[in-house]
Amino acid sequence: MSGEIDPEMLMAFADGELDPLAAKRVEHAIAGDAEAAATVARHRALRATLTQAFDPVTAEPVPPALLAAAKSPNVVDLAPIRNARRVSGRRWWPVGGAIAASLALGLVIGGQLGGGAPVTNRDGALIASGNLDHLLNTQLAATQDSAAAMRVRVTFRDRSGAICRTFTTPALGGIACRDGDAWLLRETRNRVATGTTEYRQAGSDDAAIMADAEAAMSGEPLDAAAEARARANGWRPQ
Amino acid sequence: MHFEDELIGLLPRLRRFARSLAFAPADADDLCQATVERALKARDQWQPGTRLDSWMYRIMRNTWIDTARASRRRGETFVAAEAGESIGDAGDRAIEARVELGKVGRAMAMLPPEQREAVALVLVEGLAYKEAAMVLEIPMGTLTSRLVRGREALMRTLEEAA
Repeated sequence: MSGEIDPEMLMAFADGELDPLAAKRVEHAIAGDAEAAATVARHRALRATLTQAFDPVTAEPVPPALLAAAKSPNVVDLAPIRNARRVSGRRWWPVGGAIAASLALGLVIGGQLGGGAPVTNRDGALIASGNLDHLLNTQLAATQDSAAAMRVRVTFRDRSGAICRTFTTPALGGIACRDGDAWLLRETRNRVATGTTEYRQAGSDDAAIMADAEAAMSGEPLDAAAEARARANGWRPQ
Repeated sequence: MHFEDELIGLLPRLRRFARSLAFAPADADDLCQATVERALKARDQWQPGTRLDSWMYRIMRNTWIDTARASRRRGETFVAAEAGESIGDAGDRAIEARVELGKVGRAMAMLPPEQREAVALVLVEGLAYKEAAMVLEIPMGTLTSRLVRGREALMRTLEEAA
């Protein structure tokens, strides 16, 4: 019975993260499986241990220096800035179509970033160019500065074995997969166009890109070492 | 509520998150300080109406990763495992809590960073899987696999110590 219930599912059950139907299934399974029931109990006990260990920190007085830092004197009213910032509609650019749109996008974003348009059209396909191509070729997700305006988030292999990378620039996010000597853009979404921005709240577009990456992914994302090997290997498929 | 007021209200939780990541109290306080400074500089990037806590967790996590990377470059050790046991002058219960934090904190400090941050957000801060995945900018499946590995390692370490 417990053969169908993997460790992650038991953990999610212990955390109350399963939907009611899946939870019922696990409940039935562990009713006849003492080992699985014990695992659930251990997960809950660990949560209690960690809570007990770290919660007292919240009761400690906040150090004055930290409090002072949080009460920044240079308070600026940001409402006008926010209002001036137009939130552009979220749009989805199907790869293979929307070439004219992509070129327009390329011009806009290219202008913002310098280094040429990040997206070009080659034989009807959208490929990364300029700074975006450079980013995808050279930047390891594991070693980049979190303040960088253009970032690679996750590197993974799709089911065909090709290397794919999710990326974000201030205005554009998407998934690019290596195809020969180019990064083919499998998906691009425009993001709220602000200036540089290290800590833009992850929006629904980012979540959608992550979900699509996960759906396309074979196994887990590459870890730092595997990513470095893939780069050394010219991002060629396995 | 004003940004500052909300931020000040979050400080106790941010200190707890910092302690679960950085372990040594002095390092954790430095991490909090750096996080608050970054957040204030970037505050126009926070969208009102969205959760300030998730945003702050994300800044803290990134600050932690950047700091850890910088200290590795300088050849320093990432974690001072002997630290974190400075016994306060409070009553028995507080001392007990400190010792407990020492044991649990040491076990946490042995986890690889990507497992530690997943455990910290879900088990210490009480975030839902989906929220934690958003803070860490990783897919849900990656979050749950890191979380389950981190928890199994913690359970082994703590059960051996018990």
